[in-house]
Amino acid sequence: MLANYGYIGLLLVVAIFFAVTTLLLPLFLRFIHIVPHKPNPIKSSTYECGMETIGKAWVQFNFRYYFYALMFIALDVLVVFLYPWAVELRKLGLFGFIGMLVFTFIIVVGYIYAWRKKVLEWK
Amino acid sequence: MNLELFLPELTLAAFAIIVILLDLVIQRKGWLVVVSLAGVVVAAGFTIIMWGGSSQAIFNNMLAVDNFALFFKLLFLAIAALVILASVDYVSKFTRFQGEYHALVLLSALGMMLMAATAELISIYIALELTSISLYVLVGFLKDPKSTEASLKYLLLGAVASAVLLFGMALVFGFTGKTQLGEIAQAIQALSLSGVLASPGLILGIVLMIAGFGFKIAAVPFHMWVPDVYEGAPTPITAYLSVASKAAGFAIILRVFYSAFGLPQWLSLDWGMLFAVLAAIGMTLGNVVAIPQTNIKRMLGYSSIAQAGYLMVGLATVGFSPAADIVGRSSLLFFLASYALTNLGAFTAIIAISNKLDSDLIQDYSGMGKRAPLLALALTLCLISLIGLPPAAGFMAKFYIFSGAVQHGLLWLVVIAVINSVISAYYYLRVVKVMWLGEPASEEKVPSSGALRLALSLSCLGVLLLGIIPGYIMKLAEVAAKMFVF
Repeated sequence: MLANYGYIGLLLVVAIFFAVTTLLLPLFLRFIHIVPHKPNPIKSSTYECGMETIGKAWVQFNFRYYFYALMFIALDVLVVFLYPWAVELRKLGLFGFIGMLVFTFIIVVGYIYAWRKKVLEWK
Repeated sequence: MNLELFLPELTLAAFAIIVILLDLVIQRKGWLVVVSLAGVVVAAGFTIIMWGGSSQAIFNNMLAVDNFALFFKLLFLAIAALVILASVDYVSKFTRFQGEYHALVLLSALGMMLMAATAELISIYIALELTSISLYVLVGFLKDPKSTEASLKYLLLGAVASAVLLFGMALVFGFTGKTQLGEIAQAIQALSLSGVLASPGLILGIVLMIAGFGFKIAAVPFHMWVPDVYEGAPTPITAYLSVASKAAGFAIILRVFYSAFGLPQWLSLDWGMLFAVLAAIGMTLGNVVAIPQTNIKRMLGYSSIAQAGYLMVGLATVGFSPAADIVGRSSLLFFLASYALTNLGAFTAIIAISNKLDSDLIQDYSGMGKRAPLLALALTLCLISLIGLPPAAGFMAKFYIFSGAVQHGLLWLVVIAVINSVISAYYYLRVVKVMWLGEPASEEKVPSSGALRLALSLSCLGVLLLGIIPGYIMKLAEVAAKMFVF
């Protein structure tokens, strides 16, 4: 039993060794002067090739998107459940059909709630 | 599919949805209380009809319908009803979100009812999350800095506890290959002693599950959230948390550990000893730290940590006694019922008093005996019950649980528990002394609504009944403890 853990330990050692080596290799190569060190502004920019960056990464999003995200998750979960249900609908029969109707109803209650609380309006 | 066995839960869910929808259309919010109470009463009616029947399991053995589950369902419904009644004064202060408040109380009660009934690891987790998520929101309902902090703390620590619990469940599943508790028990009994010893992951899984459930029942060392959350949460929710959430935690621990890890005997002795040690630490820490508290909600928070310790003496007894012996389980159920009534009574009195005073400091309770004699009398009775003095329920509860422990060789634990009871008398009686001997700061009376007085008198009546004629409830607890499906 414990011997089986040995293989995992071996994998762990190899993984750590590999990661450390690849991280240290460029530094080592530069240390022995195989890699030249000639920086210029374009070389040291964040994206050397591709789009020019505009502004900063700390952009603020309107917090109203938070409601949309919540609404989206509710629908998303519904869909995740609907797929396997739709595939197996014939086998599940009437009970499965009514069960899914009830489930959909509960999700719809959430939407009615959001609608009445004016979450869906952009003010 | 025996859906009629699932009726109490279905009713409660339906009424929670009705409350949400009703809140959107009506202006007079008082109806929400009526509808919520109606839901609780109807669900309780269905539960009572099922009581005493033979044990059954529905949904492919995922959900047990036995007297054990029904006992807890009734307990949770009674607690929910008392909390709804007690929060009438409190909730009327909110201008918004009254419907959400009642719907969430109902939904968390639903989660707890499922927790008492589930017999399968994945549904245990879902029931636990249904309870917890409703409670996270309820704790933050006041929206002031303290309440928000409490809610955030509860959410973050609760999420960590859930993760630990899931990790434990994953390990147990990994070593047994089953999620259904009865099948886990069979898989463990099929392993030989050396087989279990060679798989430390199984033991680790069991320990991690204790840690995850320990968070729910506020067992030391998983108690760090208790004082802050109790202080910050709305007082009715504090009452709800301290009573219902703890009872649900104990229900699930009893079911999981009794039916999945109850045999072989050496395994149950192991976790019994673990609970015994946790109980000793919990009682001592809770009682000692409660002494210097100045805020009554915080003090009752530490007191609930100590009470969880006494309750774990019962769990240790279950671990130490042979599987057929019901004394540990039935005394635990009795203690939970009496603790629920006692703490609800205490918090209901505190709701009324702090509504008037706008303060939870113990020194502000000075002279309450003159300003509000009945409230002070009720609070005194509940505090006496928490100490464990006759004629209140706490005395009989402690008597049953300690005598069960002594019968199964846990004398050392009972000695620690009795010493702790004496320590606890100091801080409970200090409140009593301030109330009756202190000088009142003003002569104003303390008003309270009819609903709150009803809740308070029901809890106090329950405390007295359980203390004076405990035999009847004890018989119910014995019937509930005997019945396990798996």
